[in-house]
Amino acid sequence: MSAFGRILLVEDDPKDVELTLTALDDYKLANEVVVARDGEEALDYLYCRGKFQTRSNDNPAVLLLDLKLPKVDGLEVLQQIKSDEKFKMIPVVVLTSSHEEKDMVTSYKLGVNAYVVKPVDFHEFVNAVKELGVFWAVINEPPPGSIKKN
Amino acid sequence: MRSAIQRYGLAVLSVSVALGLALLVVRFNIHGVEFPLFLFAIALTVWYAGTKPGIVAVVLSSFAFNYYFTEPFYTLYVTAVDVPYYIVFILFASLVAWFSTVRRRVEQDLLQSRDDLEKEVIQRRVLNEELAKRSEELQAINKELEAFAYSVSHDLRAPIRHISGFTELLQKSVATVVNDRGQRHMSMILESAKRMGNLIDDLLAFSRIGRAETHKTMVSLQQLVQEAQSELAQETEGRNINWKVGKLPACYGDRSMLRLVLVNLISNAVKFTRTRPQAEIEIGSTNHKPDQIVMFIKDNGVGFDMKYVNKLFGVFQRLHAPEAFEGTGIGLATVQRIVHRHGGRAWAEAALDKGATFYFSLSKSGERDL
Repeated sequence: MSAFGRILLVEDDPKDVELTLTALDDYKLANEVVVARDGEEALDYLYCRGKFQTRSNDNPAVLLLDLKLPKVDGLEVLQQIKSDEKFKMIPVVVLTSSHEEKDMVTSYKLGVNAYVVKPVDFHEFVNAVKELGVFWAVINEPPPGSIKKN
Repeated sequence: MRSAIQRYGLAVLSVSVALGLALLVVRFNIHGVEFPLFLFAIALTVWYAGTKPGIVAVVLSSFAFNYYFTEPFYTLYVTAVDVPYYIVFILFASLVAWFSTVRRRVEQDLLQSRDDLEKEVIQRRVLNEELAKRSEELQAINKELEAFAYSVSHDLRAPIRHISGFTELLQKSVATVVNDRGQRHMSMILESAKRMGNLIDDLLAFSRIGRAETHKTMVSLQQLVQEAQSELAQETEGRNINWKVGKLPACYGDRSMLRLVLVNLISNAVKFTRTRPQAEIEIGSTNHKPDQIVMFIKDNGVGFDMKYVNKLFGVFQRLHAPEAFEGTGIGLATVQRIVHRHGGRAWAEAALDKGATFYFSLSKSGERDL
């Protein structure tokens, strides 16, 4: 796992992680991804705690966040990020299976930057992930303090 | 309520007291008070002890009055002159007794109906509590069911995505080594995964309609039909469809839900006329009842056998083979659910190969809102 990553993928399902990485690999973006397997790990990464103690202090350019996560769930992570002065500028994209209006409304209220429902269809899924990766990690100009493109 | 001894005792006692008082006042040479005193005793008896003790009091009073206060004194002898006097006394006493009796009866009736009312109030309260409890239980069960449906659908989506995703990756990596049969099997896996995905998505949408709150406003059905038609532009492209859209009224309802009803019904009409060289689709409304709108969507498509009409609106019920007409069988279930939530009804008439007509009713003002 690379310590440098412009995309922080927070996803508990290893199969989804693999599919997402496969999709991002088409644009050679897979190396830029750091994977956190639950909300706690995601926060550890951001706060450089635990196993991420030694990483550089820069923020990721984007956070791809699943909502249904063990320990600390996605909405809690989102709330934590958006209420911390140091992280509130990081673009957060919710990438979830949930079509629920409630989840969507809560996410937007908490200040999410985009809300994407994982398509069941693999092609659509790959396209969605690719577009997200390209847009947020390449096209979009990340806020100051983010890891710069090498 | 009181014992007979007490009641008749009261008659005797009240007459005795009246007599005592009357004798007392006569001793002080005051005359003319005896008569009302006895009447008072009678009234008191009737009031508290009832009619029969009242009659006893009248009889006792008459004798006492006769014996002590009319000439000749201290005999029960009645002179001819006194007869009208007695008649008046007895009539007067009877009148007082009768009034009191009526008063008593009315009072008893009132008490009785008050008791009845109290009983009814208690019964109603018990019923209401029971009802509130039931409704709470139902709501809880409903919520649980919806949560279950949601989480099932939600959690089912991930494995489906994985099946199709990894099959596709497999297809790519082994494209050159797998024979045609293997390729076909892989595409069948993909197709099934896709179908399962569609079913889950539709089920999710269906479950959401049951839970979503309705936001009701005045809605122009004419406009909704136009919107539905343009939403289906992709499906109608290149088709020869003769649309006949009548003048449609406005109704009170949830705009997006009613739109979904129309989209579902019109897309069905478009779908099931696909085999016709010239499709005819008629959309209109009838207005038989003052507060109700009945919309209909009529087509000249393949129709269906009326003996299956009761299956038509069920979830995942289909009357056609998937090769002939695609679909998950949730559209009409959704239609029915939405129409029910608007207090209306959905039904259909058709004949095999002779087209179908779908109807739904809506309340015009929303006053009969269910």
